[in-house]
Amino acid sequence: MNIKRRSFNKLILGGAATLAAPYSFVRAQTPDPKPGDELVVGIWGGTQEKIVKQYIEPVLVDKYGCKISYVLGGTVERRARAYAERGRPSFDVLYLNIFESRQAVKDGVTQPATDAVENAQYLYPIARKGGYGVAINPCTIVYNKTKASAPITSWKDMWKPEWQGRIAWPNGLGAEGISALMMSTLSWFGDQTKMAPEGFDKVKELKPFAAIQGSQAQLFDMFDQDIADLSVEFGSFCEKYIEERNPDFALADPEEGKALAMNVACITEGTRNQKLAEEWVNLHLSPEVMQAYAKEIYYSPTVTNADIPADIQSKLIMPDQIDTLVDFDWDYINGNRNKWQSIYDREIAG
Amino acid sequence: MRKWLGPALSAPVTIWLLIAFAAPLVAVVFLSLHEYSDPFGPLIQSPSLQQFIDIASDSFYYRVVFETIWLSVAVTIVSALLGYPVAYWLARMPGKYRAFAFAIVLIPLLTNVVVRSLGIILLLSPEGLINIVTGWFGIPAVKTMLFNHGAVIVALTQVFMPFMVLALYDNLQNTSPRVHEAAQSLGASPAIRFLTVDLPLSLPGLKSGMIVVFLMSSTSYVSATMLGGKKVWTTGMLVLQEAMHNLNTSLAAALALVMTVTGLLFAVLATLALNRLMTWRYGGRSRPIALPRFVEPVVNVAGPIVSWLLFAASVVLLLLPLGLVFVQSFNDVELATAAGFRGFTLRWYHEVFVSGYYTDSFIVSVKVALAALAVSLIIAVPAAFALARFPFRGRSALLAFWLLPLTLPHVALGVGMLKLLQIYVAVPAFIGLVAIHVVVILPFAITLLTASVIGLDEAQEEAAASLGANAWKRFLLVIVPGLMPGLFATSIVGFLLSFDEVTVTSFLTTARLTTLPVRLYAEASFELRPTAHALSSVLILLTIVLLAVVGRFVRLDRLYAR
Repeated sequence: MNIKRRSFNKLILGGAATLAAPYSFVRAQTPDPKPGDELVVGIWGGTQEKIVKQYIEPVLVDKYGCKISYVLGGTVERRARAYAERGRPSFDVLYLNIFESRQAVKDGVTQPATDAVENAQYLYPIARKGGYGVAINPCTIVYNKTKASAPITSWKDMWKPEWQGRIAWPNGLGAEGISALMMSTLSWFGDQTKMAPEGFDKVKELKPFAAIQGSQAQLFDMFDQDIADLSVEFGSFCEKYIEERNPDFALADPEEGKALAMNVACITEGTRNQKLAEEWVNLHLSPEVMQAYAKEIYYSPTVTNADIPADIQSKLIMPDQIDTLVDFDWDYINGNRNKWQSIYDREIAG
Repeated sequence: MRKWLGPALSAPVTIWLLIAFAAPLVAVVFLSLHEYSDPFGPLIQSPSLQQFIDIASDSFYYRVVFETIWLSVAVTIVSALLGYPVAYWLARMPGKYRAFAFAIVLIPLLTNVVVRSLGIILLLSPEGLINIVTGWFGIPAVKTMLFNHGAVIVALTQVFMPFMVLALYDNLQNTSPRVHEAAQSLGASPAIRFLTVDLPLSLPGLKSGMIVVFLMSSTSYVSATMLGGKKVWTTGMLVLQEAMHNLNTSLAAALALVMTVTGLLFAVLATLALNRLMTWRYGGRSRPIALPRFVEPVVNVAGPIVSWLLFAASVVLLLLPLGLVFVQSFNDVELATAAGFRGFTLRWYHEVFVSGYYTDSFIVSVKVALAALAVSLIIAVPAAFALARFPFRGRSALLAFWLLPLTLPHVALGVGMLKLLQIYVAVPAFIGLVAIHVVVILPFAITLLTASVIGLDEAQEEAAASLGANAWKRFLLVIVPGLMPGLFATSIVGFLLSFDEVTVTSFLTTARLTTLPVRLYAEASFELRPTAHALSSVLILLTIVLLAVVGRFVRLDRLYAR
């Protein structure tokens, strides 16, 4: 007996459904928080963890007698686990990057932003996509100004001969990698649909690269060890690096704009702690936390009502600069991700 | 009765792996048979070989697979060359100092891989130690030592050589002093004795060490990523990229299986090749090595020099990166750097001790590691006897199954576990974590303990039996003391494997069950601060203190003196 593929799939699905313990996609319930409730937050370690523990956790614990538990790590593991648990999450709030957060909302893993979070009214429109943006951290060119014939003012300046063999290109198609590829494509061709093959071919002209950098720590060591003189990276970390470790370097302010990148707080679909999660996010969007982010790691606020001290404003993206940031069409990028990754692996990194 | 002993002794390991390992492995197999990747699709679909066709029809994947193989072979060879002198030195060390001498091998193992890789960067970078030293002699700096295959080989050797040392040590120390006396009485110099007596007798340990180092190298990606700068590709890096960054789990699963088959092939070939050199172990005639007369003087002169050079290189490679760890732990910089000391501070130690950020994670790690080690030893010792002494039909196939966890990249195991999360199974988090850690430890425990059982002198057991000792007495008074070096090595390796495991653990971490490496990894993946170095330094000091105590109160040499 021949069986069609579709019929086979249905048969298997039916069998699997009977074996698997049932779960359903339930609309998030909103009971009032009570003492003993536990809010599980998936967040990066380091400074971000410290800030939320200092500014957000005590307020919620005092108010409700609840418990806040953290799952620490990078977004890669968080996202993978959240996708596996879609609809019955172990996280209540998880922090993702700009493209992961937008994809997660589309995939029904996390909730879109709503006005249930009071401070969401102050969010810039770009910070309401994919959840609640909590930190703007644009990507731009960081370069050794002592090796530059003139300050870098355009993404096209990377093609100047003086940088030949001295560029540490960002690894893969993360926020930094996409920013570098996409801004190069937009600068030269003015259209993101020209990424493949034109954009890739243009970037290939920059080869050989001094290295491919996979993290800020690795990049800064490359700079310190005189392995590379230029890269594309998150501005905030570079500001800290330049200030504390290596004043020879500078951040470019290209005429085409910096690439928008953002950390986003996402409330999971199916959370049992909807109100607690909303209060958590609300506190994260408060002026106090925004100011702590700005002071400690030069993260730019995502809200219009943040009070930023004058002495650090030059290192941040202020309200009048928001429109200069370039926000990509992440749906288009995510739709082409596998194809572009394949090209990147073979022609850029290889 | 005896014909059932083998299967009976091997049953606990098999059952454990069927429960804790086969399920995620089966999930990986099913995922590899998906026509295209869908993170929310059902696990079981009509099978398609599309992923394997994609791999087979793309020269890029061939290149990465072969690059991984030759890189792993190179690491295995270099680890053996550098590991022999250290293992030999440890085996000859007087018992009261031996535990302390183990620090050379153990301390690197206790140091975070990210931190150790930074140490290698310090060694090879344009302004690194090698160029500084060569500069004193007027040799121009070599600026191209980083981000190439050589750098990755050095880094992976630094990470995995201790496993080779422990495997070799176990066999070398099993060699009876009387064998040495016999060789000496026949006129063999120490160098000739090593080549003709110690080397052949250590082949079981070499086989274990080669398999372990090759498989660990071929599935690694952290050091390869840091030192290769993405100019060097390994299959592990590809699996991680496809599974986690692109959510292309089907291709990742297929690549992981290709990697598994490659690893198994190597294990089989290495076993067959080395078994041919150990004919006496399988009832064949021994073929003693006869060196030509003109070679002997050369060996006698060059042997000690070469061995000391290799020993020095090993010790430098193992310990040098730790110097950076200590220096960095006092460095007054916000983010860790391999480029010099900017100022002295104790605040990183303050964070470790006073803030208490790491205390809970440390306790969780120790609990999980001890529990996983205890279970591993209880079920691996019988399995080692089954392999070494009680042949039965299907033993080779069973051994291949037992070694599978070693050949399957941990990230693939994590992917399989994640897919299983979509099927609601309520297993307590601690039990689940211990179960998977046992899976990680078992292949090492089985290979190390089997080599140890093979090295046991059955004549001693026969002598004990002839004097009236029953099976239990023979086990407790003859076998256990004889197995002590193997148990010691396995305990150390097992504990450290569990204590350092981060890949699968990071998938299974819950809010109340975060291990120390996952905690460090969480920080390092975002911003590597010197707190990680301070913590590593504390662990190093703790190890030294523990070993000093062990060396003082537990005379290991007495436990297994033959």
